[in-house]
Amino acid sequence: MVRVTQRLEARVLGEGDWIAASEICRLCWLDPGAVMELAELGVVAPRETPPGEWQIPATALPRLCVIGRLMRDLGVNVSGAALALELLEGRRELERRIRTLELLVSDH
Amino acid sequence: MEFRDYYKVLGVERAATADQIKAAYRRLARKFHPDVSKEPNAEARFKEMQEAYEVLKDPEKRAAYDELGANWKAGEQFRPPPDWGSGFEFSGGAGRRGGARFRAGRAGRSGTGAAPDGASGEQDFSDFFSSLFGGGTPFGRGGGGAGRDHHARVGIDLEEAYRGTTRTLELRRPEVKPDGSVQLRTHTVRVTIPPGVTEGQLIRLAGQGAPAGGAGQAGDLYLEVHVQPHRLFQLEGRDVTLTFPVAPWEAALGASVTVPTLGGSVDMHIPAGTQSGQKLRLRGRGLPGAPAGDQYVQLKVVLPPANSPQAKALYEEMRSKLDFDPRGQPAR
Repeated sequence: MVRVTQRLEARVLGEGDWIAASEICRLCWLDPGAVMELAELGVVAPRETPPGEWQIPATALPRLCVIGRLMRDLGVNVSGAALALELLEGRRELERRIRTLELLVSDH
Repeated sequence: MEFRDYYKVLGVERAATADQIKAAYRRLARKFHPDVSKEPNAEARFKEMQEAYEVLKDPEKRAAYDELGANWKAGEQFRPPPDWGSGFEFSGGAGRRGGARFRAGRAGRSGTGAAPDGASGEQDFSDFFSSLFGGGTPFGRGGGGAGRDHHARVGIDLEEAYRGTTRTLELRRPEVKPDGSVQLRTHTVRVTIPPGVTEGQLIRLAGQGAPAGGAGQAGDLYLEVHVQPHRLFQLEGRDVTLTFPVAPWEAALGASVTVPTLGGSVDMHIPAGTQSGQKLRLRGRGLPGAPAGDQYVQLKVVLPPANSPQAKALYEEMRSKLDFDPRGQPAR
């Protein structure tokens, strides 16, 4: 029997949430220069509000965290991590399509 | 605790150079990185590698580890020698980010609970590592700054993503004892995950990260959601796709069929003349949200077997009476 000492309400970060770029850096192990480079590469679309303060949509968090982990753990640079992310997403999409086609042609 | 053979983990000789160790780590990290790898147990393997590399890349730690001798075997029961640590002084913490430990248990749902995320920045190193090199500072950024954030992954079923769910997590937090020493205490929290979470989404639990060193705020705990593959539905964003078998006459003539959705079965009309592979949309029947996702029903026309005289006669009749060539040319 597990004794629960605390009950917590989760806050899902999703559509409509914007997060300060500084917090994104902390969350995803990225430095500000990397975030700006990712914006230039089109990986994220930040907004400047108020002037001088950049925000990033929370929906971009999962992708940015993957990029941050790849950079930190594999020693790749921003462009390399962004390319790896695109390839990983492409692979996932292909796997999904293969699965769909397999279901379509399978006997069961 | 069990001895860990860090050289074996990285697949290098004890006499390996720093460059060889780095190359071995890089090679294995590419293979087992949890964001990239399809290998079974990639996450656990990657954490082992991180721990091994943490020791072997650091000349001080490596020298201390080597002092244990070459006769130990991985998995052997181990206790640090009584005089352990008297001759060494480690200049760094246990991990790159301070070494505070976090453990999210599997309590609640076997196999789908949160697991510590080796790739997420948490250096959840083994007891073996801690006994040799300590846990580093258990607090955040030192001084009066805020505590560190913690990260973990949580696996949930698609049905749980649809309805919402709870997870019971074990968190190990450092606490200062009256004598000033620090000990890790485990406490259990139950987290309510709201309906509509999707793959990769982050859930923030404010104040559940590392405590602050001084008067600052504790860090937050972030759970990264992973939705397990489902036997019927495929998830893409908030949309789900179901492959749904239909009879040829249902596709050709149209039909009303009962289709499973995450929220229960619904009646759906198949228009006449639908082909195998075509998708029909059930608006709002995907994961909840603003807006809710849709369910796509991909039709799969299944032919009845020609395994009876009657079935064969019907196929023969179609062949003789229908002017149909599936390869695009009229039959006659």
